[in-house]
Amino acid sequence: MTGRAKVFSAFILTLMAAFFANLSLGATNIAPEDILLAFFSFDVDNYDHFVVIYQRLPRVLIAVFVGSVMACSGAVLQGLMRNPLASPALLGINAGATLFVVGGVIFFGISSAFQGIAALIGGICGFGACLMVARMSGMDGNPRGLSLILSGAVVSMLFIGIANALLLSTPELRNEFLGWVTGNINHVYIDRLHQMWPVGVGGVVVLLILSRALTLIALGPEKAASAGVNIVLVSRLAIASVVLSSSAAVAICGPIGFVGLVVPHIVRPLVGAKQTMIIPGCILVGASICLIADMVARLAFSPFVLHTGVMMDLFGGVVFAFVVRRYYLTPGLRRSL
Amino acid sequence: MLSAQNLVVSYGKSPVLNGLSVQFDTGGVTALVGPNGCGKSTLLKAILGLLPKSAGTITLDDVPIDDIPRQTLARRIAYLPQENHCPDYIVLGELIELAGYARYSLFGGPSAQDRALFADVLRTVGLVNMAHVPVNSLSGGQRQRAWIAMVLAQDADIILMDEPVNHLDMKYQYAVLELVRRLGQEHGKTIITVLHDLNLASAFADHVVMIRQGKAGICGPTKQVITPENIRMVFDFDADVFMREDRLVCLPRQDAQMRANAE
Repeated sequence: MTGRAKVFSAFILTLMAAFFANLSLGATNIAPEDILLAFFSFDVDNYDHFVVIYQRLPRVLIAVFVGSVMACSGAVLQGLMRNPLASPALLGINAGATLFVVGGVIFFGISSAFQGIAALIGGICGFGACLMVARMSGMDGNPRGLSLILSGAVVSMLFIGIANALLLSTPELRNEFLGWVTGNINHVYIDRLHQMWPVGVGGVVVLLILSRALTLIALGPEKAASAGVNIVLVSRLAIASVVLSSSAAVAICGPIGFVGLVVPHIVRPLVGAKQTMIIPGCILVGASICLIADMVARLAFSPFVLHTGVMMDLFGGVVFAFVVRRYYLTPGLRRSL
Repeated sequence: MLSAQNLVVSYGKSPVLNGLSVQFDTGGVTALVGPNGCGKSTLLKAILGLLPKSAGTITLDDVPIDDIPRQTLARRIAYLPQENHCPDYIVLGELIELAGYARYSLFGGPSAQDRALFADVLRTVGLVNMAHVPVNSLSGGQRQRAWIAMVLAQDADIILMDEPVNHLDMKYQYAVLELVRRLGQEHGKTIITVLHDLNLASAFADHVVMIRQGKAGICGPTKQVITPENIRMVFDFDADVFMREDRLVCLPRQDAQMRANAE
């Protein structure tokens, strides 16, 4: 077995372990054999079976979806912009989706079914606003996308600030959305997963198809174009996939930040720099990390339950500091992606 | 045959190439030389379609470059940019494999023929048994040869190089350019390379194109083009050109050096 095959085997085993641990551990611990029975011989009168199928499995599926989609999106954005800080959260996508859902509910009273659509439009608008601010600053030609990331930070702060202000001024919606705006993986959102999964899966499939061209773009646009890559087409398709699939993830359980930033930095040293390897690695590791974060958020401070988004922010903040130190603050050691 | 006619390329409002016409001979090494900012690199990028043209045409075997699909063009023309950026954790073998992008189907990878070519390329550039080494851990000279290997693995008959010996010391400059010359002479490639150093151009190029103010001033065999008169006309600089051990040597005149220092 090659080194890379071993790494992917470890990723799959970790995901399976996190998957079953998430189904098993909670307010009541459920034995592995009962989990299997719940799947293959469901008993409607068995409370444990009910908990596994109707409460924990939806959470697990949402965590797998959100973790995979966000991690892939971050890996592709970091490669496209050749910047280690790029991620959906830092390019206004998460904040745009959040603002449009909150604004849509407050101003137009949109139903849960339309909140997904609002999140998709919001993600596109958030990224569009980020591009616009970068262009207004006259720095959009910055080769490493730094201006885009700074613009994304500005747009994100603005959009999240407006969303928070709207929620604070609407007490009857505050409790309902407080969990969602901090990134809350909850079984009640399973209908949204049912509505949104084709968008996320479709986006990831497109990114997988483009992965070889995306690796070449990470070598630089001139190199990629001379090797035969249609830069404009590939970049636009990839960005559209990233924006739509991460907005779909936000639509389900709110913005879970840092997955998109952190996971590619964990995966890359283990599988190499080819997007053909990074994207599948991010699918597995992103899902595992979201599952573990969700589990830790539920169990670490029992009887209190943290939101998964808060847990990821705590973990991601530490890794963010490491990334900044490694790539930006170490003189003479600034590394490329 | 690759040629450009009345080519105009601008950055913003100021034209860098201003009605340039040039025809590149097939096979061998052609050096593009000229003062800073005269449009050498711009010409290479325009040939690849990386920069929009304001006027003029570039043709490959009498077909306008603009009419050739990008993947087809990649199988005819390869390009080594001036600055090369390699992501961390990418190994030499993967870098070379990426060069075959235009030959692969959407879900396919390199064929047995491609793999034989990659092994041959590593032998040619002297990096055998290094396919598993991360590119960023190679020395400066090895890294430049790795990029040349990637260009060769593209298996194009025309190779454009933008200052391939930039940042290299004299030993590696000669090693890399010796490799470039072999590619032209033994492998039948047409190499068009930007070079700043007229001595290197004299030593390794079969033909020289001197570009002046966005126009191809003088073109021809190296010994006919690199003369004190042409250097004065194109570079506005006095230099002596003489033969030593059957090689052309360009040496700035002392008064010209003093004048340049004063400026």
